[in-house]
Amino acid sequence: MPGTITSERVDGALAGIEHRWLVHRDGLPALELDLAGLAHALRALKERAGFESATFVTAVDRLPRVPRFELVHQLFSLAHNERVRLHTRLADGENAPSCTQLWPGAAYMERECYDMFGIRFEGHVGLKRLLMPEEFEHHPLRKDFPHQGIEPDRLYREWDKKRRAEWHPEAAR
Amino acid sequence: MGALKPVPETREDGFFATRIDALINWGRKNSLWPMPLGLSCCGIELMAMLGPKFDLARFGAEAARFSPRQCDLLVVAGTLTWKMAAAARLVYDQMPEPKWVIAMGVCSSTGGMYDSYAVVQGVDSILPVDVYVPGCPPRPDAVIDAILKLQTKIERERPLARILAGPGVSDERGTGARTYQPNDAVRKSVYDLHPHDPRARKG
Ligand code: SF4
Repeated sequence: MPGTITSERVDGALAGIEHRWLVHRDGLPALELDLAGLAHALRALKERAGFESATFVTAVDRLPRVPRFELVHQLFSLAHNERVRLHTRLADGENAPSCTQLWPGAAYMERECYDMFGIRFEGHVGLKRLLMPEEFEHHPLRKDFPHQGIEPDRLYREWDKKRRAEWHPEAAR
Repeated sequence: MGALKPVPETREDGFFATRIDALINWGRKNSLWPMPLGLSCCGIELMAMLGPKFDLARFGAEAARFSPRQCDLLVVAGTLTWKMAAAARLVYDQMPEPKWVIAMGVCSSTGGMYDSYAVVQGVDSILPVDVYVPGCPPRPDAVIDAILKLQTKIERERPLARILAGPGVSDERGTGARTYQPNDAVRKSVYDLHPHDPRARKG
């Protein structure tokens, strides 16, 4: 939101990094950034603009659009009681920079983001699935994933088959 | 005494003759030990049912145990996810025969409103279910009604035949040689559309 105190502090911190202000209906100061500048921008916002906590890291899949993903970081400054939201466009298969070096608490949110959208975060130690079982093959929040799933019982059936073979070898066919 | 009908001619002071099936069933149905598998919101209602207000002890089923090895009534109370399904099946397998299952709530009966990749669309795809209780959540009275229905169902069983036939036969739907075959209600691919899916509508 240009013209406010937040925007001046943010603009100052982001000097030299390309960014555009967005007007959103919820009135929260929001920026659009390029993927290349994201890592720098996050560091600058934390170190120079006082955003010492990351409220959430998530993504939006806008499927027909190219590039399809939009990575969203929302930062919060306790000292100034201010928030800012960062939007970054991202294509399928592109890696995002991890912000766990800056905000260790973002680790779970990045894991969830990886689990649900298949976005990989560079520099994240232990980027595993958070909610779905580790052998799950799909990324369920992608728009091209059917909400009823693709063979949702596959892992259970595999386990069941193994269990029957182990416990009752005579009954397993 | 319900189904425990004494043969009238044999009734004397302190004695009567009856069928052994009736005696076993009478014992079983009045001392159900529930295994509460409280998976989500329905679990809270299950607790209310066990508590003093609804008092399941009136029906002999208040002894909830948290070890499946001591239980004979599995109450699946809540949303069963595919990630949890293996654990639920293990709990069922560990319960000794004879055992019964109540699917409490629409979630465990059919998947309920969670028509989703993560939720088992009815626990009967992985377990045999005796009584389904509708409701979201069902009132404790409804679940008590389910227990009464289960009691009438137990009354009709023929335990003696199963006991005399030996372990191979008495283990019909448990973990033994004659394993229960889950129904085929689970869709195998995305192209197999759900009956409620508008894309499956004809004409
Ligand atoms: S049936 Fe309703 S109350 Fe019960 S677990 Fe499902 S959503 Fe919760």
